[in-house]
Amino acid sequence: MVSSQEVEILSFLLGDQSMAFDVDSVEMVIERTEIRPVPKAKFFVEGVINLRGRVIPVVNLGKVLGINVEDRELKSIIVVKTKDVEVGFLVNRVWGVMRISESQVDHLSVSDKFGKKFKGLIKRDGNLTVYLNIEEIIEEITAKEGA
Amino acid sequence: MEEYLGVFIDETKEYLQQLNDTLLKIEEDPDNLELVNDAFRVLHTLKGMAGTMGFNRMAKLCHIMENVLDRARNGTLKISSDIMDRIFKGVDLISKALEKIVGEGSDEIEEDVDLFVDALKELTNAPQVRNEEKIGEVKSKGNEGVEETVERIVLPDEVANVLKRAKAEGYKTYYMKVILKEGTQLKSARIYLVLHRIEELKGEVVKTNPSIEEIEEEKFENEVEMFVIIREDKERLSEVLTSIADIDRVIIRDVEPVHEEKVAKIVEKPEIEKMKEEEKREKKKISSQTVRVDIEKLDTLMDLMGELVIARSRIVEVLKKYNIKEVDEGLTQLSRITLDLQNVVMKIRMVPIAFVFNRFPRMVRDLSKQLNKEINFVMKGEETELDRTFVEEIGEPILHLLRNAIDHGIESKEERIAKGKPPVGTVVLSARHEGNNVVIEVEDDGRGIDKEKVLRKAIEKGLVSEARAATLSDQEILNFLFVPGFSTREDVSEVSGRGVGLDVVKNVVESLNGSVSIESEKNRGTKVTIRLPLTLAIIQALLVKVSGFVYAIPIANVDTTLRVTKGEIQRVQDRKVIVIRGEVIPIRELWEILQVPHEATPETMEVVIVRVGNRKFGIVVDELLGQDDIVIKSLGKVFSDVREFSGAAILGDGSIALIVNVSGIV
Repeated sequence: MVSSQEVEILSFLLGDQSMAFDVDSVEMVIERTEIRPVPKAKFFVEGVINLRGRVIPVVNLGKVLGINVEDRELKSIIVVKTKDVEVGFLVNRVWGVMRISESQVDHLSVSDKFGKKFKGLIKRDGNLTVYLNIEEIIEEITAKEGA
Repeated sequence: MEEYLGVFIDETKEYLQQLNDTLLKIEEDPDNLELVNDAFRVLHTLKGMAGTMGFNRMAKLCHIMENVLDRARNGTLKISSDIMDRIFKGVDLISKALEKIVGEGSDEIEEDVDLFVDALKELTNAPQVRNEEKIGEVKSKGNEGVEETVERIVLPDEVANVLKRAKAEGYKTYYMKVILKEGTQLKSARIYLVLHRIEELKGEVVKTNPSIEEIEEEKFENEVEMFVIIREDKERLSEVLTSIADIDRVIIRDVEPVHEEKVAKIVEKPEIEKMKEEEKREKKKISSQTVRVDIEKLDTLMDLMGELVIARSRIVEVLKKYNIKEVDEGLTQLSRITLDLQNVVMKIRMVPIAFVFNRFPRMVRDLSKQLNKEINFVMKGEETELDRTFVEEIGEPILHLLRNAIDHGIESKEERIAKGKPPVGTVVLSARHEGNNVVIEVEDDGRGIDKEKVLRKAIEKGLVSEARAATLSDQEILNFLFVPGFSTREDVSEVSGRGVGLDVVKNVVESLNGSVSIESEKNRGTKVTIRLPLTLAIIQALLVKVSGFVYAIPIANVDTTLRVTKGEIQRVQDRKVIVIRGEVIPIRELWEILQVPHEATPETMEVVIVRVGNRKFGIVVDELLGQDDIVIKSLGKVFSDVREFSGAAILGDGSIALIVNVSGIV
């Protein structure tokens, strides 16, 4: 049981920074497979993969957030599904699902770099994890250019 | 009752459509009593259905309109255009109520139903006629002959005992046969209602055939027999029961509770009734040839079909490596069966375009009234079938084109007369199959598009330089109309807004892998042509390779393929062209179009000639891999601004091919 003060998050490593999403929208985590590039797509889209017969876009989360990450370091894909979008995010590696209490989240700090994609900072065992707003990220990657 | 709601909604939609169609015909031919009768019957059924489901406002609306039509068919009321307008308004109110029911489960609409009812009453200004009673009377009279010929009916012992006792207490005992109308959907609900009404009349049903359980499970044809104990007389009972929707007839006979002579007294059915029943059986054969299927099931079937096609390709791929002779025959058979199955599934998904078209006559009528233009609206090829995925999508674009035609295209009556044209404008909406395409055309004989004006506007908006403008073909000029926000009308009309919309039409059609083109001649009219593929799900495609990756070009777009050498490529005004049998065809390398890395152009190259509308275009690729059936998968929202591809497909080896949107790259 998750009490009203607790949330479940999926934490992962991107570059050298620990980050996390709410776990609700995460469908699965897979090993990086062969990505078919799609020409003319937005700069942060790496291409598409065949996920059990479905065609799923793969997005380089580092590029969305403006973090430089070596491509060969990106070894996992987190597949996120919302009501009309299914998309995979490339990350270095996934730590796992954990439960945190609201008191561990610092909502006051703001991020100039991540803007609305930033939800807060999670302080845990002396480590800092960037808590990302997955809805906002999906909103941004599906927005029409210039709209 | 909730379980019947879905059926009720579907049926009501169908009836409303039928009603609209009939009313439109009545408007053309107000003295045709048969049409009035048809409309009356539809309303009567609707009323019954709404009543059964407890939607009283809807029932009330139907009732008042039914009364008006009843008086019309009796000849006590002349149908004026004013009355027609009101009736159409009433149909709209019913539609609104239905929408509310779909959304919220209640028929409570914002419009004041009572106000409408009173207004209609006042308009027709005459005492109300009670229709149900009249029908009841007619029916029971019709049955009298039957009743008299029958005296005794076989009774099971237990029933006979109960009836005997009831008789002793002064009850009347009847044998009843309730016959539902052909094709009735909510059969259990109707019979349930019959039982309920009998209860309301303080009667009791002793036995039914089929049993109550079977009735609940809808395990019966259109008839239910029952024995009833009641104090009311036959006429009253008949009257009450025949007022229930979809009850065709109720046959009521007296029964004498006697055991003896059981076998001997099996009652011969009167000849007429026998014939009727045979006739009905005939009809049933026809009506049971179609079934309603849940759309989701159909989609699943289509998905599975897609998987099957992929799996087959995979097997073929693997077996190619080993070249085993023995499997060839089996494989050929598998391929043939898959293809047949695919065609069948595709056909199941096909529906007549009438599903899209049938709402337009009403819309054209309202619009032409509103704009005070007389329109002769012609529909052709409504039976043309297309994939049901299109049905939901293509309605709006066509609506747009029709609005444009009526609002902007067709001139006012005075203007037409001054031009020497027939005063009534004609708008033709047609559909037909052409190869692997469905072609939909909206054509009017109106003022046509002023190309000068379009060109001026294009220059004004900076879409084209003045120097270049002089060299544009008519077709190129008309294509400006598809640019978002482009409009040639200075005034803004309520009907079609600012004339925006052609870009919307283009967007929708292209998202369905189709194309749209426009032809127009000043004062002669405009024709807009929409081309759609027959189906969206599985297509034949030519697989090609560029820079190591596979792309699929829909066969529907492919004209020919050929090999050319560098020397055969010529340059005209900075564009590469090749000449085939005297025809000059522009060509481009696919890697250049897609801006993917590629080595220097080789000496000889493969060219795929594609066709878009009536233009040809050559696409240079590295390698031709052959033809295959592919299952189209959407690329999704992340790629919404990539116009070069219309989707992706998974190939036999599990790799992904991108499907080239030919109209998006030329």
